[in-house]
Amino acid sequence: MSAGSRWPTLGRGDRDRTLSLEADGTIGPDAFRVLALGCVLLLTTAYVSVLQNVTQVVGGTRTLLALVVATLLAATILARLIRPGTALVLTALVAVTGFIYYFERSGVGAAVVFSAGESIVADAVTLATGLELLRVVEAGVWTLAFAPGPVFLSWYLAVRGRYGLSVVPGGFALLFLVLTGDAGSAVTLLGVLAALGAVAFGDLERRGGSVAQADAIAVLFAIIVALSLSVTFVPGGAGTANPTTAGASDGTLEATIDSASERSGIAGEVDLSPEIRFVVEADEEAYWRTGVYDRYTGDEWVRTGQSQPYAERALEKPAGATETMRQTVTVRTELGVMPAAAHPLEVEGGIGDYTEVSAHGQIRPATTLIEGDTYAVESAVVEPAPIALHDAGTDYPEEIEEHYLQMPESISGEFEARTAEVTERTETPFETAVAIERYLRTSKDYSLEVDQPEGDAAEEFLLEMDEGYCVYFATTMTQMLRAEGIPARYVTGYTSGEQISDDEYVVRGTDAHAWVGVYFPDHGWVEFEPTPPQPREAEHSERLLDAQEERIEDEAIQTGIEDTPDADDEDETDGDDDPDAPAHNPDGTDAPGEAGEDDPSAENETAPEADEPGSSDTGDDPNGSAPTTADDGLTTPVPITRELVVVASVLFAGLLAGVHRTGATVQARQLIGLYWQRPSDDPDRDAERAFHRLEGALARDHRPRGAAESARSYVTALERQNADLDPRVERVLERYERAVYGSGVDRAEADETIEIVDEITRNRLPIVRRDGN
Amino acid sequence: MTERPNTDTDSNSDSNPNSKPNTAPEENTTSSPSATAADRPETLPVSAVATLCNDVVDNVSRVIVGHQEAIEHAVVALLARGHVLLEDVPGVGKTMLARSIATSVDCDFRRIQFTPDLLPTDVTGVNVFNQQTREFEFQPGPVFGNVVLGDEINRAPPKTQSALLEAMEEEQVTVDGETRPLPDPFTVIATQNAVERDRTYELPFAELDRFMKKLRLGYPDPAEEAELLGRTVGRHPIESLEPVTDREALVRARETVANVRVEEPIREYATRLVGYTREHARIGASPRGTISLLQAAQARAVLDDREYVVPDDVQTEAPTVLGHRIETADRERDRDRDGDGDAIVAEALERVPIDP
Repeated sequence: MSAGSRWPTLGRGDRDRTLSLEADGTIGPDAFRVLALGCVLLLTTAYVSVLQNVTQVVGGTRTLLALVVATLLAATILARLIRPGTALVLTALVAVTGFIYYFERSGVGAAVVFSAGESIVADAVTLATGLELLRVVEAGVWTLAFAPGPVFLSWYLAVRGRYGLSVVPGGFALLFLVLTGDAGSAVTLLGVLAALGAVAFGDLERRGGSVAQADAIAVLFAIIVALSLSVTFVPGGAGTANPTTAGASDGTLEATIDSASERSGIAGEVDLSPEIRFVVEADEEAYWRTGVYDRYTGDEWVRTGQSQPYAERALEKPAGATETMRQTVTVRTELGVMPAAAHPLEVEGGIGDYTEVSAHGQIRPATTLIEGDTYAVESAVVEPAPIALHDAGTDYPEEIEEHYLQMPESISGEFEARTAEVTERTETPFETAVAIERYLRTSKDYSLEVDQPEGDAAEEFLLEMDEGYCVYFATTMTQMLRAEGIPARYVTGYTSGEQISDDEYVVRGTDAHAWVGVYFPDHGWVEFEPTPPQPREAEHSERLLDAQEERIEDEAIQTGIEDTPDADDEDETDGDDDPDAPAHNPDGTDAPGEAGEDDPSAENETAPEADEPGSSDTGDDPNGSAPTTADDGLTTPVPITRELVVVASVLFAGLLAGVHRTGATVQARQLIGLYWQRPSDDPDRDAERAFHRLEGALARDHRPRGAAESARSYVTALERQNADLDPRVERVLERYERAVYGSGVDRAEADETIEIVDEITRNRLPIVRRDGN
Repeated sequence: MTERPNTDTDSNSDSNPNSKPNTAPEENTTSSPSATAADRPETLPVSAVATLCNDVVDNVSRVIVGHQEAIEHAVVALLARGHVLLEDVPGVGKTMLARSIATSVDCDFRRIQFTPDLLPTDVTGVNVFNQQTREFEFQPGPVFGNVVLGDEINRAPPKTQSALLEAMEEEQVTVDGETRPLPDPFTVIATQNAVERDRTYELPFAELDRFMKKLRLGYPDPAEEAELLGRTVGRHPIESLEPVTDREALVRARETVANVRVEEPIREYATRLVGYTREHARIGASPRGTISLLQAAQARAVLDDREYVVPDDVQTEAPTVLGHRIETADRERDRDRDGDGDAIVAEALERVPIDP
């Protein structure tokens, strides 16, 4: 081509190229401007959508959107009126005003802000290091304070045509939300692509680029998408470790209710682990609480506020009558939580140094507890008489009302209507709570095998689903109470477990549970149990039985001799009838515990979504895990989400553009053409192509032919250098010359030429060559 | 892949060489009245011509020791209806080369020794009044031969030089208004001394263009020179040189060469090569140079027993055909500087791609 464009005698090609360039140029800067502005808008949408996710939970979506639209309008108008410096100052003013408002609302007070700048910095740092917005107490106000600054500045700059700069405030906003962990990978990806698009299209507009150059942008897009899929730098973005039990796989109830240290998820089908978690020594049984959550997003529970060391925050004693209870907990497996009966007051022993206290008065370990750790907790158990609760009234403290009445904005009127129906005849909050509790216990069945609902879990459970497990019952009851104006919260933990002696309880994974805390003035948080107890016990015992049976089988296969089946059988029958059955042989309880420790795969064995590679890799006993995973482990289909389709299409487009740009198609065709040629109608062309194939093979083996080197001198030179050059090359060359420069070759000659080249090139293939030899 | 219309390429006369191979006979009718379409000579088979050429080359090699390439080039020019300019120091066998070629093909050999006092009529011939018939009779000059050796052509004044050059270009001579055709075949081998330039009339650049090739013989290497001495001292081998073919065969061989196939890729390659010289020198090769290049390539193809031209033929012929037609800026300043054109041709061969 270079020669072609240089020589005036070959002007036709030149003209064609010029024409085609002009055709490309018809897509003018206007189109690029629209694209660039669109991209800036998309970036804005990306981080506003993150904020909107927050407001949908805590309220204020309409305010937020109105604020954003107003800001955009203001930016559009002011872009023509004020200078960038002024705009910057204005942005700063808006941001400062917003945050002063936020601090006023959250009770800190603006004065504090001015006096204690470092606490603001600390606040920002905390957020940027992974505190999610949903955990901010005044999350709604925070979003309103946060949004206008970047929205205004980025749109102002974009309208003024400074696309590169306009990406900066938007990018920072998005980055901040990424660091808080609120922006998911899809939104982040969208934002980054939009930012890139804004810069690229803006550049194309400024330099008058052509559409042909857009393939470079497509390649960049694809690279970013690919990187984002392979590299995860977003804190908490992927692979959240299960804090409850270090080794437990996803899919267990425990993993679900304590999916992260500050949140409790709501999953579909879950499994129970029969492993012993801890042993409690206490005078009476109780629910061992591990977590308290106040903010409901529709598909998970979030704990707002921050934990503080035990030494710095005193545990408050509930207002009403309480009974002090002392318990000693011995941890039997790795544990990320600190189970204790409700309202712990005092942690005894050295473990106090490693204990944190959440804003709701729940204790939790700062580090993972390991097997053998022991701690003693003194709890204040609230056991008011029903009559006292009847009379408690509705005089809730403002702080309680503010935090424990939160409901997602998306909640439907139908949910509230049904709740009102259930609580129709009740007069006091206590009656309401009892009515809801009874309603849920009686109207819904207990089952661990449910499909996770699409929308709001509480709403779906109340209105659509017929069965569920504790998470659904507790979530729904909490939300129903809130709908009725009664402060309630979601509590996770373990049921009392299996009593093995007068004051000893063994708690297993199967005892994981969730229930409800309801606030009564002058009494504090009283616990309610909306889950039907009998079906739950039955189900959980069955799981335990299954697991034990399988383990027995495994052991039988493994050792051939089994001396403890009797004890295990006893366990199971006892557990079925009465979970609180006393007097167990210590050996009998030890045996499953030890087995569980020996064989980590045991706990996964009935897992519907068994993490197959993980379990079979770590399992000492492949016989045990193989049949069960075959049963139901392979049936999980890959869900094709819209997100996946979008990502895939971006990748595909980028791949195509990249292929186009690097000319890989040409190379691939050359490579294939090297080994395979289909005769055409024109013998001359066949001979010519055959020679080019041969040339390709020679180029790989020796050296490529120079552009100014004739075919004949190339072959001659190779012959001189390589004595073993196939003598048939000469014949191919002769045919080629005759086809191109002479009178042409006939069909037979062309076919023979192709055959020769086929043989020569295929001899280069390692396998064929070995066969040939 | 046969003929392409002339309009296919540029409008300048480069298009002529492209179609020339196939239309050469028609063109010749205008320039040489002796060869009309009717008595167009029959062509010989390519292999026969190849044999003939090799015989000639071998025959000449009996006289000229070494210089195999130069002999081949001279034979190529003879077959391609071109003229040769031999430039070298005296005494390296320039004259002997011309004579032995002429003898080998059994052609009429004439020699013109150019001197400063040589007159145009001394070359072309003159009308002499015949007392008996009372009429002017034309006495043909030495130019009326099949192979004419113009020795030391740069010693004669321009007017005399141009008489020969006109004959070369038009294959005819005009004396006293009367035009007389020159015999066929007609080939001029001119020599030019590379020394003693002070007392010479340097050939104008435009006239150099009329020679198809400019060759240099150069000194023989010691071994060759020893053999040369062995052969020539005593009885000179030229005395015993016998023709290996005849004039008739030569004419038919030339017709064969004119019919050698030159396909479009070759024409375009030649165009690119010449175009390169035009871009990289003050004056590049002329369209006539392009024509000559392809004609020489045709002859070279026949010499190689091929009925079509391949790029290698063009590459072999380009240095001798194009070199003397290129004027570089350096040569303008320093007339003694030769060979710059050759450098540019070498560069073109190295850089111009064969397949666009």
